[in-house]
Amino acid sequence: MKQLKEKVTRWIQQKDGPQTQDLVLRPGKFGLGQIPARLEPDDTTTLICGYCSTGCGLKAHLRKGEAINLSADPDYPVNLGMACPKGWEALAPLRANDRATTPLLRDKASGRSESIDWERALILFCERLKELKRTYGPESVAFLSTGQIVTEEMAFLGTLFKFGMGFLHCDSNTRQCMATSHVAYKQSFGFDAPPYTYADFEQSDVLIFVGSNPCIAHPIMWQRVTQNPRNPTIIVIDPRKTETAMAATVHLPIQPKSDLMLLYGLAKILVEQGWINRPYIRSHTEGFDQFASFLETFSLSGIAATSGISAAQLRRIAKLIHQGQRVSFWWTMGVNQGHEATRTAQAIINLALMTGNIGRPGTGANSITGQCNAMGSRLFANVTSMLGGHDFASAKDRAKIARLLQIDESAIPTQHSWSYDRIIEGVKEGKIKALWVIATNSAHSWVNHDDLKRAFRKLDFLVVQDMFTTTETAELADLILPAAGWGEKDGTFINSERRIGLVKKVARAPGLALSDFKIFRLIAHYWGCGLQFSRWSSPEAVFELLKGASRGQPCDISGIESYAHLDRSGGIQWPYRPDESLDNNERRLFANGKFFTSNQRARFLFAKPVAPPEIPDAEFPLWLLSGRGTSSQWHTQSRTAKSDVLRKLYPEHPYVELNPADAKELGIDSGDQITVSTRRGSLSALAFVASTVGRGSIFLPMHYPEVNRLTAPVFDPHSGQPSYKACAARIERA
Amino acid sequence: MLLGEQQELPFAERFAQTQASSQFQQSRFYRELIPDRQPNPGEQLAFQVNLDACTGCKACVSACHSLNGLDEDETWRDVGLLIGHDPETPYQQHITTACHHCVDPACLNGCPVLAYEKDPVTGIVRHLDDQCIGCQYCVLTCPYDVPKYSEKRGIVRKCDMCFNRLARDEAPACVQACPSGAITIQIVSLNSVVAATAENERLVPGTFKSSYTRPTTAYVSRKPIPENARPIDQSRLRLEPPHWPLIVMLVLTQMATGLVVTTGALTFSDQTGFKMIIGSASLAICTMLAAGLAASILHLGRPLGAWRAWLGLRTSWMSREIVAFGGFFGLALALTIVAWLPPRSALFDPSVQPNLLIQGTRITAVVGILSIACSAMIYIDTQRPFWAWPQVLPKFFGSVIVTGLIGGALLTVCHKELVVLSTRLLTAGLAAFLLLAVWELVGSLYALHRKQHLLRAANKIIWFRLTHLAYLRITSVALVTALGLLINRLPAGFQFWLTLSIGILSSGWILGERYIFFVSSVAPRMPGGVAP
Repeated sequence: MKQLKEKVTRWIQQKDGPQTQDLVLRPGKFGLGQIPARLEPDDTTTLICGYCSTGCGLKAHLRKGEAINLSADPDYPVNLGMACPKGWEALAPLRANDRATTPLLRDKASGRSESIDWERALILFCERLKELKRTYGPESVAFLSTGQIVTEEMAFLGTLFKFGMGFLHCDSNTRQCMATSHVAYKQSFGFDAPPYTYADFEQSDVLIFVGSNPCIAHPIMWQRVTQNPRNPTIIVIDPRKTETAMAATVHLPIQPKSDLMLLYGLAKILVEQGWINRPYIRSHTEGFDQFASFLETFSLSGIAATSGISAAQLRRIAKLIHQGQRVSFWWTMGVNQGHEATRTAQAIINLALMTGNIGRPGTGANSITGQCNAMGSRLFANVTSMLGGHDFASAKDRAKIARLLQIDESAIPTQHSWSYDRIIEGVKEGKIKALWVIATNSAHSWVNHDDLKRAFRKLDFLVVQDMFTTTETAELADLILPAAGWGEKDGTFINSERRIGLVKKVARAPGLALSDFKIFRLIAHYWGCGLQFSRWSSPEAVFELLKGASRGQPCDISGIESYAHLDRSGGIQWPYRPDESLDNNERRLFANGKFFTSNQRARFLFAKPVAPPEIPDAEFPLWLLSGRGTSSQWHTQSRTAKSDVLRKLYPEHPYVELNPADAKELGIDSGDQITVSTRRGSLSALAFVASTVGRGSIFLPMHYPEVNRLTAPVFDPHSGQPSYKACAARIERA
Repeated sequence: MLLGEQQELPFAERFAQTQASSQFQQSRFYRELIPDRQPNPGEQLAFQVNLDACTGCKACVSACHSLNGLDEDETWRDVGLLIGHDPETPYQQHITTACHHCVDPACLNGCPVLAYEKDPVTGIVRHLDDQCIGCQYCVLTCPYDVPKYSEKRGIVRKCDMCFNRLARDEAPACVQACPSGAITIQIVSLNSVVAATAENERLVPGTFKSSYTRPTTAYVSRKPIPENARPIDQSRLRLEPPHWPLIVMLVLTQMATGLVVTTGALTFSDQTGFKMIIGSASLAICTMLAAGLAASILHLGRPLGAWRAWLGLRTSWMSREIVAFGGFFGLALALTIVAWLPPRSALFDPSVQPNLLIQGTRITAVVGILSIACSAMIYIDTQRPFWAWPQVLPKFFGSVIVTGLIGGALLTVCHKELVVLSTRLLTAGLAAFLLLAVWELVGSLYALHRKQHLLRAANKIIWFRLTHLAYLRITSVALVTALGLLINRLPAGFQFWLTLSIGILSSGWILGERYIFFVSSVAPRMPGGVAP
C-alpha cells in the first residue's frame, strides 16, 4: 500500500527523469570537482589559452584524446583556477560552421570560390610567388602575420620566408599592439625585456595603471591584483572611468593624449622634491642629468592645464609614489597606441628607474602584452629581430644564426624588413605585388581600413591562411589556405611575464585544415627548400632550434629540457639557462641592477611632447577614443562571435558612449541611432549615454568592423605602431 | 600523410599529468566563500555579491554554463550594468545575477504543476525539470527574468545554486570561478531577509520592489550606489514575447463568456428569444471554448503533462483558471447537448428541458465570469504594472461585454422576430466598444505624456514600437464608428452584414489589444547590457 502511494506520488510529482538526469553532476576525478555526468572525461590535460597574453592554463576534459569540455586549471601558476569567459569558451570557435575546411581558390572575374586540394593550392602558391620574385624582385612579396600562432610556427614562417624563399618584407599584427613596448624596452634596457612576474601584482604597495583596463582586457591579471594582501594604493590614469578606474583608489581622468605630459609632470615633482633614489640612479642608469634638466623646461601649471589634472593632485600622486615601498607601473594599449607612444612608455620606465622601483618584488615598469603570443613573436618570429632577439644588421649575429641553422650566411638579409604601415604603403605604390596574410584580419583591425581594402584589391595575389573563411580579410583573398586553430596543434606561447607555456592538440581540425606548421612544411617542400628545413620536422624539434638560437641571449631558454619539462613545471619564464632551477616559478629580471645595454645601465630616454596630428576642431569637435568593449570580445571577433555564450555577453551592434552633458547638448538619448564621422568615414551606432566617458570625448569599442574605418593613420615614429586611441570626430542623430 | 597526422590525437596522452584519483584542487580558493554548516531553522542559503569586487569579467556566466553542462545558448547567470548619469561624478557598476532563491518565490507560487520546490533546509528554490509542462507562467511571474524557457526541451530551467555541489562542500560554479571572489554563499536568517525586503526596498536601482518575492541575494558595497544610477537598458523599449496561443485563447474564451452572459441575460428579459438562439449560442460557445483551450494546450512545451495542471490549486491562479475553464467547458458542452437534443427525447421530460437550459445557461454564465476573473488574476498576480487590475479587468471584461453584445446581435439578427433585439444589442455593443476603445487610447496617451507614469514605458512601446498597429487601431475605431452611424439607416437585408462587419472589426481590435497586452507588458528584470 505504501509502495503504491509512493508510486502515485512519484507519478503525480515527477522529481526524476530524463530532463533531471541531463543536469546531474558527478565527481569528475582527475582533480576536477563535480561535473556534468554526461561530460565525464577519461583523461585531462592542461594547455595555455589562445586569446590574450595572460597565458592562463586551461584544463581540457578529454574523451579519447578529444576535448569535450574545459575548465580553468587550479594548479597553473598564472591563473590559479580562474579563467575569463573567452577561456571558458575556448573550444566553441573550433566548432564554428565558417571554418575553412579546404583550400579555396577565388576566380577574380566571377568572384566564385572553388575548393581545390593542397597540392594544387601550394603549387599555385609557389608558382605565383616565384614568378613575381623573378619579375619584380624579392621585395615584391610580403607577409603579415600574427601574435596568435605558436612560437615554433612563427619562427618557421619568418625563417622560411626570409632564408628559404628569399623574400624580405614581413611584419606581424604585434605591430598593432606591442611594437611600442618592444622598442621602448629595447632602447631603455638594451633588450625587449618586460621585467616582471605576475606575483608583482600581489606584492606592490602602489600600483599605477596607465592606459590599461585589466578588469576587462586582462581579468585574470586583475584577479592577481585583488589577491594583494598589502591593501595597495591603486592609481589609474585613463581618460575614461573604466571598470579598473572604478576599482582604483585614485583615478586621474586625463585629457586624451596628455599622458606623456602628465608623466613628465610626475617626474618633475619627484625630482624637485628629492623623492628619487640617487644611489640607484648613479649605479645603474645613464642620462638622468639630461632628463632632470629637460624636466626643468616644464611648468607644473602648464602640465596641469594640458592634462586636466590639478597640480595639487599631481603632487599627491607623486607623494604616493614616493611613500610606496614597492611601486609598480603597468601600461597597456592606452600607451602603446599613441602618436608618441615609445616616449610615453619610456616616461613610465623613467619613473621606475629614478625611484629605484625595479628588480624588487612588487615593482617594475611593466608592459602588459596583448595577444597570447605577442612575446613569442617579438623574440622568435624572425621578422623585426632575427631569431632569438638577434639583429639582422649585426654580422656576428648573422653568423651565429647561419651556423645554428646550417645555412649559408648569404641567405640572411642584412636589411630590416618594412613595418606593417610601410608594407601597406608598398602595396599602394604597387611595389608589393603579393601578400600572404596569416591568422590576422587586417581589413578589420588596421587603422583607416577602407584605404587598406582598396590597396588589397590592387594586389596581384592575396593569400589568406586562416581558420575561417569569413573574416573581412579572407573575403578579399584570391587563395585561402585552411588552418587548424588553437587546440588543434602543438607548440608554445610566451605570455606577458615571459612564461613559456605549452599548447596541445586536443581537437581534430575540420576537413583538410592543417596546422600552420604543417602548411609551412609543405610550402618548404613545394618551394624546393625542403632539405634546408629537414630538421624542422615537428614543433618540438623547432623548439630545440630556438633554444639554440636563444643561447647567450637575455632570453636564453636553453635550460628548458623539453615540452614535458614545460608541462610539468607550469610553464617556465625566460631566461632559463641550464644552470638554473625552478625553486621559485615567479621570477623577475634586473634584481642585480644590471641591464642588457652594452654598459649594463638603463637609459633615460625622453622627448618634448607634441600635439597629435589630428585634434578636435570646429568641424570634428570630439575626441574619438577606441578600445576593448567587454571581456567577452576579442579583437576582430573572428573567434568570440562563434560562441553562443559570449555573444550573449556583448552587444551585437556597435554602440558609442558619450557623456550626459554632451548628449543633452546634442539632444541625444540613450538608444538613439547616431552617426559618428571622422575625416575618413562614418558609421552608425547606438548611443549609450554614460558618465564614464569625459566631456568632449566619445568611445567606440574596437570589435565592430566599421570602427577602424574611422581611426587615423597616425604612427609612433619609433615603433611604427598606429595611434588607435584618439582622433577627431563628429556625431549627429541618424 | 600530414593530413593523417593532423587528424591524430595522440599528443595529449604524452602528458598524462593528471591521475584519475587526484584531489580536487580548486577547493582551496573558495573555502572562505561558502558556509561551513547547514542553515538552522529560520535560516537559508543565499548569494551575496560584493559589488566592490565585481568588475564585470563575466567569468561567472560562462563557468556556470560549462560546469553545469548547459545547452549551447543557455545561461543561468547574467551580468548587467548600472550607470551613473551625473556628468561630474562618473559611475558604473556591473551587476551579476542569477536566481535569488526568494523567501516567497513567485515562480513556485504560480506554478500550476508543483514543478518548483523550496528546499526545507537550504531554502534553495529548485525546479523539477521532469515535472515541468512548459507553461512558462514562471517566466511571467518572476520579476528577475530567472527561469529560462528552452524551445528545444519544452521546459524551463534555472539556477539551482549548484545544490549538488554544496551538498558535497563544493562551491557553486559561479562562486568557484569568480576571479575576485565577489560571489559568496551566506547563511541568512529569514527575518533579516524580510526586513531587507520591506516595502519599497529594491535589490539594486531599477529592479522590482523586493517585497513581492523577498529575494535573498544581497548586493553589498562600501560605496553607496548613487541616486542617479540606472540600469543601462532601462530606456530600451523591449517587446515581450506575444505568446500567440495565449492571445487566441484569451480572445476566444472572452468571446465565449460574452456570449453566454448575453444568452444568460436573455433568460431574464426575453425567454422566447432565448429559446430561439440557445441552440446556435451554445454551439458557438462550446466551439470557441474548445478552440481556445486547445490553443492554450498548444502553448505548453509538453502538452502531455497538461493533466497535472490542477496540482497548484492552492497557490496558482493558473491552476485555478484551468480548473475553472475546465468546468466552464464542461457546462457549455452539457448545455449544447441538452439544447440540441431532439425535442421529444427519451432522456428528459420535454417540460424540463427549457428550464434546464435556462438554469444551465445562468450557471454557465456565472462560471464563465469566474473563469475570466481567474484568467485576469493570472496576469494581475505577476505584478507587472501593465497587468495591474485597473488595466486587466476593464480590458478582459470590456472584451466580454463587447463581444457578448455584438455576438448576441449576430445570433439574433437572423431571426426576423428578433431584429429589434438585435439592433439594440448591436447599439449597446457599439457603445461599449467605443467606450473601451476610447478608454484604451486616451489612457494610453495620458500615460505616455506623464514623465513619472508607471505605464510610460509600456505606452512608449505601444506608440513608438508598434506604430503601424497604432494606426490600424485608430482606423478601425473610425471605421466601426462610421458603420455604427448606419445602424437603423440601412434596408433590412443589410442588417446582418452590418452586424457581421462590426463584429469582425471589433474582434480584430480585441485581437490586436491582446497582442499589445503581451508585447508591451514590460517585464521587470535585473539590469541588462548596452543593447541586445
